[in-house]
Amino acid sequence: MQLASRKLIDRSFTGLSVFSIVLVAGALVIILTPIVGRGMGAVFFRGTVEHRQVQLDLFGHGRGEDIAAEVAAAEEARRQVYVLIAEFEQELADSIRARRQYAEAMEEVKAGLRELLGPFPGETPVLYRERYGQTRWDRAQIKLQRVLYAETYDYSDPTQMGQKVLTPRVEEFAGTSLEPLFTILPARLEEMLRPRPTFYWRFFTNTATADYSFGGIWPDILGTFYLTFWTILFAVPMGIISAIYLVEYAREGNRIVVLVRTCINTLAGVPSIVFGLFGLAFFINTLRVSEGRSVLAGSLTLALLILPLVIRSAEEAIRAVPHTYKEASLSLGAGQWRTIVRVILPAALPGVLTGVVISMGRAAGETAPIIFTAAVSVARPMGLWSGLSEPTHALPWSVYTLCTEHKTVDEIRHVQYGMVFTLVLMVLLLNSVAILLRARISRKLRG
Amino acid sequence: MEPAQSMTSRQAPGRRNALVLSKRASRLNRLAALLGHGLLLLLTLSSVLSVLFIFYFIIRDAIPFFQLRGFREFFAGTQWYPSANPASFGAFPIFLGSMLVTAGAVMVAVPFGVCASVCLSDILPFTLRQLVKPVIEILAAIPSVAFGFFALVVFAPRLQADGGGLLSVASWMIGAPVAGLTAFILSDLLTAGLSGTARWVGRGLLLVVLGALAFWGLWAAGSFFRSLDISSGTNALNVSIILGIMALPTVISVSEDALQAVGRELREGAYALGSTRAETLLRVVMPAASSGICAAVILGVMRAFGETMVVWMASGNAAHVPSPWYNLLQPVRTLTATIAGDMGEADHVTGSERYHVLFAMALVLLTVSFVFSWLSERVVSRAVRIRGGQ
Repeated sequence: MQLASRKLIDRSFTGLSVFSIVLVAGALVIILTPIVGRGMGAVFFRGTVEHRQVQLDLFGHGRGEDIAAEVAAAEEARRQVYVLIAEFEQELADSIRARRQYAEAMEEVKAGLRELLGPFPGETPVLYRERYGQTRWDRAQIKLQRVLYAETYDYSDPTQMGQKVLTPRVEEFAGTSLEPLFTILPARLEEMLRPRPTFYWRFFTNTATADYSFGGIWPDILGTFYLTFWTILFAVPMGIISAIYLVEYAREGNRIVVLVRTCINTLAGVPSIVFGLFGLAFFINTLRVSEGRSVLAGSLTLALLILPLVIRSAEEAIRAVPHTYKEASLSLGAGQWRTIVRVILPAALPGVLTGVVISMGRAAGETAPIIFTAAVSVARPMGLWSGLSEPTHALPWSVYTLCTEHKTVDEIRHVQYGMVFTLVLMVLLLNSVAILLRARISRKLRG
Repeated sequence: MEPAQSMTSRQAPGRRNALVLSKRASRLNRLAALLGHGLLLLLTLSSVLSVLFIFYFIIRDAIPFFQLRGFREFFAGTQWYPSANPASFGAFPIFLGSMLVTAGAVMVAVPFGVCASVCLSDILPFTLRQLVKPVIEILAAIPSVAFGFFALVVFAPRLQADGGGLLSVASWMIGAPVAGLTAFILSDLLTAGLSGTARWVGRGLLLVVLGALAFWGLWAAGSFFRSLDISSGTNALNVSIILGIMALPTVISVSEDALQAVGRELREGAYALGSTRAETLLRVVMPAASSGICAAVILGVMRAFGETMVVWMASGNAAHVPSPWYNLLQPVRTLTATIAGDMGEADHVTGSERYHVLFAMALVLLTVSFVFSWLSERVVSRAVRIRGGQ
């Protein structure tokens, strides 16, 4: 082979590896960008007057007089719409021909208006979701299009899927007294909804209505916190003790140590869903730690899941403590146990903490083990101790249910993004703590 | 005066020397140490115990299914209608789905993961490496449900709308440099026997022919991909790509460790003999680290095989054999997703076949993951032995 070819291979090999690294980083950026970008949208958005009304009615936030004044101004702007509707309905009632032609389209317009601006004056729907108009300006824009355009599907070409056809309602209602509505509505929508840049930090601390159409995600954050707390409480002592035994007491090559190591590796490789099944079969159906799903059963299951992680990281941290510490302590007459508790563990503490923090992130984000053991979509609010035997909300599970099983998936995209964002943020914060801790340790070891 | 006082008070009258314990105290101490040791051992054995318990409880609930229905239908049947009457439990499409998705993930994770680990261990300068490592850690830390959400809400619509175009761009991006390089090297190698002007002419001719051939192949592949009609974005391809990304951190970190463990001496020896960096890495370092890289691949496979949320959310969950069977563009269903999805309904009928079949699936998952983790351990320990023997 010629030298030029060898050089070319060398260069392209370098290029390929750098390209792979760039690809990995790019994948991270591609995945995080929509989650962070649109997740922020759950907190920063242009909130309409309906948003402030909801905050006041359901959660008691905001100043009553201000909001009442705003609502009055908005109603003033909306009145024209309702007058037009009422007039046209009168027309329809009078003429059978008009009724036959427009009644169906009229119902669609009214339904669209209800979604956009909330119920018509005098109506009080049962569902919370229907009691208010659009709380977010971006959603309001979409709903406005639903009012302005009729959506039909064209199936004339049998080889293709149905094509969406949008026809402006202005043409549909041309010549009727309702025609002005379709110019007034887009022109004056801002006055009717009064959007304003909103920093809705209460997204994290508000409870939500049952279908998450209004409010925040506090119950889910709290549930995730409880699960993580108990998981860490169960797993960490066990993990540290195992690590101490493996490093300080056991002789390498001992049969028992080999067995324990094999089991830890096996445990680390067990798929998370199998942990969930095991939790169901063992903690709930056999031990009966609770009736049905509970925080206790869930966190015990999660504790088993993160146990190998805790043991490995603690073991590594304890091994990293210089031998001289131990020798100095032993030569001063301290016993083995005292040496471990007073000398080795304090020195290994930052490393152990790093592992604990990373396992916390893992426990908070796992979904599969808690599907059968802890998480539900509808749960009572509860306390740290009293909720131990109750099922709970949990962020990962709610993300799943909201984006697959919810009735109006598209309406609450912002809540889903907000939830994923919160979950990712929690995990990333925990991991950055771990990275910082590790940086401190390596600085310390370097002197 | 406190310490002195305590010294005197501790000195019991009968004792000759404070530093030497009485026989009884010494015995007590030894007993306590032994007890402590035993207690620690017991607690350490809890992880052994939990593995045994997991196996026991999964097997205990899986056996009734096999007793009732036997093995043949489960492993070979293609009809999965657990709630029909009469029910049929042919899980073959589900096994195939799991394997397809895992194979796809491996095709994404292994080449890029191994290349990235080579880059991390041998090519990037130290400061850049310190920047890239947290990126990989973050990728490893993102919860699986976030990946699933991305796959379902962001990636699936994209794939459905212009998946063919994306695929053809990807095929060009990966195929063009590879094809160009192959043509260049082939033209060099095939003309090695000639010399002087003949060699240059032959090389040029070959390069043109091979280049045209490669271009034609790529163009055909690109237009084939572009013509593909992706009827649903939630399919095996989507899940494979996302699972591949999820498995990347595992593959990268394990194989990087393996590459780092190969000593400087080997690298320096290879350089001293005149090899380029690529030759050093490809012919010396990577063969020496091959067992570690194998372990990385195995761990990556395990990660993809056992993942639940992504496949549950974005694989389409259709329990039928794709046609043809390797078609990644059709929805599939995996073992993990079946367990997660069906337990909600089967939970109420504890003791029924529907309940036990899920445990049978879990048993398969457990067995496979056990075999894989045992394999990876064997591979790594063999590597340690070889290195120790050098």
